Amino acid sequence: MATLLQKVKSRMFLFAHRKARGVLNGEYTSVFRGRSLDFDDLRGYIPGDEVRDIDWKASARFGSPLVKRYVAVRKQTVLLVADTGRNMAARALGGEPKRDILVLALGLMGYLALKHGDDVALVYGDSRGFHRIPGHGTEGHLESLLQAVNSATTLDAGASDLSAQLEYVARNYRRRMLLFIVTDEVALTDELEQRIRRLTAQHELLWLTVRDAELVGAGFPGSAVYDVADLVGVPALLARDPEVAREYHDAEQERTAAMEEFLTRHGIALARLGSSDDIMAGLFGLLERHRRAKR
Amino acid sequence: MELRLWFLLPAGLLVLVAAAWLVLRRHRRNDGTAAPVAHADRLTSLPSYQAALRRYRRWLGVVLASGLVLALCLLVLASRPVLQGTGRDQRVNRDIVLCLDVSGSMTSTDALLVEVFRSLAEQFRGERIGLTIFDSSAVQVFPLTDDYDFVTDQLDQAKAALDGDSGGYSFFDGTYNGRGSSLIGDGLASCVSSFPRLGTEERPRSIILATDNKLAGRPIFELPEAADLAARNSIRVYGINPNDFDAGTPRGQPGEEMRAAMRETGGDYFALNSRNAVTGIVARVQATEAAKLPGPERTQFSDRPELLLWVALAALACMVLGLRRIRS
Repeated sequence: MATLLQKVKSRMFLFAHRKARGVLNGEYTSVFRGRSLDFDDLRGYIPGDEVRDIDWKASARFGSPLVKRYVAVRKQTVLLVADTGRNMAARALGGEPKRDILVLALGLMGYLALKHGDDVALVYGDSRGFHRIPGHGTEGHLESLLQAVNSATTLDAGASDLSAQLEYVARNYRRRMLLFIVTDEVALTDELEQRIRRLTAQHELLWLTVRDAELVGAGFPGSAVYDVADLVGVPALLARDPEVAREYHDAEQERTAAMEEFLTRHGIALARLGSSDDIMAGLFGLLERHRRAKR
Repeated sequence: MELRLWFLLPAGLLVLVAAAWLVLRRHRRNDGTAAPVAHADRLTSLPSYQAALRRYRRWLGVVLASGLVLALCLLVLASRPVLQGTGRDQRVNRDIVLCLDVSGSMTSTDALLVEVFRSLAEQFRGERIGLTIFDSSAVQVFPLTDDYDFVTDQLDQAKAALDGDSGGYSFFDGTYNGRGSSLIGDGLASCVSSFPRLGTEERPRSIILATDNKLAGRPIFELPEAADLAARNSIRVYGINPNDFDAGTPRGQPGEEMRAAMRETGGDYFALNSRNAVTGIVARVQATEAAKLPGPERTQFSDRPELLLWVALAALACMVLGLRRIRS
């Protein structure tokens, strides 16, 4: 049986070659490994490692760059925060359900965490209620998380309610952890801003936005669309109106810019994904930005 | 205004309603090709989208309304709107034979009559007209025909001959073969027999007889006998007498005898006092014929698609315009 995790792995193997995968590992390491003062050992430099971790003397002796490894302070927990409302069952920019991108991104991040011995926990749900699955460090656990997300995200699910979800996270997780929030193009509200601000004080945040299908112009998906919120059809003919398209794009740009500006101001890395094809590059960029933002 | 194939209307309406229902049902039921999207309200709440939607709805309304009008028009047209009337087409299948006494005293009256009928012939549509002249014997100048060019031509020639200004004495050839002159009964009988298919074909028939009823000789048919013959064949005879000099007791006088004979056939008798009265008399004869001869009353249907066709065309134009506006 092709499990969801296998899909994630195959996606990783498809992603260029080993070196590139190593880069992703290196990025994760430098981002998430807690750094203690207890030196552990040396290993070969992988692009993406912190330059300041390079042991220059050892590298000079050895002939190629070596980085110092420290004993981790403690085992970290990566908390996957997945919006599994019916919004996420709708179409993404690339044409596939946003759920597919969501599952893939969670799987990828979770897998990276597992490889580094971290635990992976999950918070998912919609306006009808949120659920959490505590952290654990096995592939079987990650697979069950992905299954939970995959089966929860249907068109019959409740509406997405991100700020309530973040409130739920803030209430239930006191210990500092790494939050990987995956949602769609939510609009920034005062309430949401407040929740995000509160979370940043306590946790580290990584934000992945799955882009919505375009409702105007050439990006209009197929012949007919309907809104998952009220199942009301949107006439395709109107979407061709250039005036409407211009106004729609303006509004979208404004929304995106506001979100980006807000997240950047609070040191939260953001990646935007429209299709699962971009997931490796997108995630790499996200980790890279997070590392820069931290410094 | 009535519909000949009225049953098409409810049947068509039924089909129309069924079609509308099917379309609506298909529209309601999501057939799986529609893509689910999120945040469509971000599109639908845009002012420009609202404006476009209003425009769209307006033109959609136009298209739907004109489509409905078009469909209804076509339905009604398919059920054949007709004007129903009860027609009496006695005028158009009437047979008229001019029966002219061409004895010397009558020629000027004949000329007037011929002239009147020549002008009438130009307005005839379907009536047949024939000309028979008689003196002591009868000659058929031309039989009943609706070839009006020919009739006009012949009447012109007759008029010229009757006016005496053509050398055409031959026009009267054959009218002096009997014994005597002005054998009116014989002339009328000849006229009666000049109608084709007497007794087999139902047509209103009438004879316009111009004579002064001055008999000179022994005819085979007396005037009342000839009138009898006409009456038996349902031919009305209208007599015109330019020289009605009856005096004293009417009985036995030529004018009175003629009047009685004419009345017997269902026709009428006119004494011509002035030459100008011919036109009036002919008009009265026509009117009397029209009144007396309602003809078989028949239900007539005439198709009236014009108005609806124009409406349908206009609706189609509206529909095409609306569709173009919607698609642009």
